[in-house]
Amino acid sequence: MKGKKLITRREFIKRTSLAAVGGAVFLTKPEWAALNAARPAGPAQQANKSKVVLVRNKDVLNEQGRPVAEVVQEMLDAAVNALTGKPEAVSSWKTFIKPDDIVGIKTNVWTYIPTTAEVENALKKRAMDAGVKEANIGIDDRGVLRHPVFLKATALINARPMRAHHWSGVGTLIKNYIMFVPDPDNYHGDSCASLASIWEKPQVKGKTRLNVLGMLTPQFHAVGPHSFNPKYVWSYYGFLVGFDPVAVDATGLRIIQAKRQEFFGEDRPLSPPAKHIFTADTQYHLGTADPNKIELVKIGYDQDIFI
Amino acid sequence: MSQSLEKLNTVLPAEVSGWKKADPPQAYDKNNLFDYIDGGAELYISYNFQKLLAVRYQAAADEEIVVDIFDMGSSYNAFGLFSHGREREDGLEGQGSEYNAGLLTFWKDRFYVSILAYPETEAKKEIVLGLGRKLADAVPKDGELPPVIGFLPRAHLIPESIRYFHHYIWLNSHFFVASQNILLIDDETQAVLAKYETLDKPFHLLIAQYPDAGKAKEAEQSFLRNYLPDANEGISQFPDGRWTACRVEGNRLSIVFNAPSLEAAVFCLGKVGEARRPED
Repeated sequence: MKGKKLITRREFIKRTSLAAVGGAVFLTKPEWAALNAARPAGPAQQANKSKVVLVRNKDVLNEQGRPVAEVVQEMLDAAVNALTGKPEAVSSWKTFIKPDDIVGIKTNVWTYIPTTAEVENALKKRAMDAGVKEANIGIDDRGVLRHPVFLKATALINARPMRAHHWSGVGTLIKNYIMFVPDPDNYHGDSCASLASIWEKPQVKGKTRLNVLGMLTPQFHAVGPHSFNPKYVWSYYGFLVGFDPVAVDATGLRIIQAKRQEFFGEDRPLSPPAKHIFTADTQYHLGTADPNKIELVKIGYDQDIFI
Repeated sequence: MSQSLEKLNTVLPAEVSGWKKADPPQAYDKNNLFDYIDGGAELYISYNFQKLLAVRYQAAADEEIVVDIFDMGSSYNAFGLFSHGREREDGLEGQGSEYNAGLLTFWKDRFYVSILAYPETEAKKEIVLGLGRKLADAVPKDGELPPVIGFLPRAHLIPESIRYFHHYIWLNSHFFVASQNILLIDDETQAVLAKYETLDKPFHLLIAQYPDAGKAKEAEQSFLRNYLPDANEGISQFPDGRWTACRVEGNRLSIVFNAPSLEAAVFCLGKVGEARRPED
């Protein structure tokens, strides 16, 4: 029992604050709620908050459960407008994408819950509307280290769905950049706690202009031969969008945890814990995971919203 | 070996309702399972996985039904793997099965089978269940349940909550105890976790059987030291008002977590081992 600090269920129950728990094992909605109650946000905090937009539309999935392109575009436009404060999508995109940018759209091709072509195309369209030449836009996942556009990219759009994950608790925007290193296996230790360090690599550092976390059909529990079980996938009809990947991921995690609470009827923490989201904040300072420092804007369908 | 994966493969038809079987099936063992199950192979390895046969049926370029047949070496481990993932049992195939939204999982004897057709359609569901039936029928006999399950008290037991394992990580998947292996659960440990109904929230009972009494006593001491440092005779009330209690008997350590009352915790521990027979 030497080395890492031992955390037990008893300790978790005994202590009431996040800080006392000492990190990331049980960072679920109730703990954050307790913190919120203890530390109401003041004006200064308000000014420094990371804005996260949750946009939902029940028409985004067709009868087969696949995304409807037009609705995806509308939702992403609405989210980006809310994020920038601009009235329409093209002017919104022009605040963070310039015509001479070389844009890599980092997607995720996992068989069962991919980013989807509908999302990729919606993002590509708006990058082109902002003036970027089509030849200067690349879409890729596992080949980003060899893709000519990604090799010279000046801007990255990070888009992937959220799902429970065997290695990292949840697959996140932070984790989506693991393909930017040649040795992904070296980031699997300690529940992938060091994933945010990848964002310091020259191939990505400072380049991310927009983060889109797919919450159309998230997976809240990972079991089964391929870490996939349709039983644990539900239609949430949403996207979480923001400039701060940690804030977006932390918000998505709260939804996943709330869904788990509802489904299992008890507080069953993710195993392994989604430690990397919180180390991204506390250790790598990539963004904030603290709901006190996140301004959540909700647009659209509000049933079963879990947050 | 009464049956082999290769023989099981032969009962799967070359074509079913327009879906064609891709030949040859892929075979995996402990050394290359990670190539097939990216990120999840540890689960199977920890249950003493021996061999996997992955059979694919294809109808169109982007549509497939995946049949994964795992030889887990023993019925104990096949059941354990099944128990890890199931939330309910529907009795459709084998000795225990669950079908949900395109995924059928079942176990029989030393085999664990997963058949996935996603997204689900009625037509695909029929195929999945049909393939499952063929495979289950081809396994000639039932396997025994892990004997440790026989120690679980029957009254108020929630049968589908029974989880069998011998790695502490899988305990934490269902009931988080501690971030480290304070119960000293390893390959030589036979452990079962189950939930019991109460008028309030269910509580958990863990029974771990160690290779010998010395190891069980060591695990008890570790648990008391790390989890119940203020216990009186192995019993402690938590800040949430619920009770945790442990008892060691021979090579067996039993722990009740979150019982609604002291009496319930002590009563449950007293009933451990009374049944002494495998799950009905």
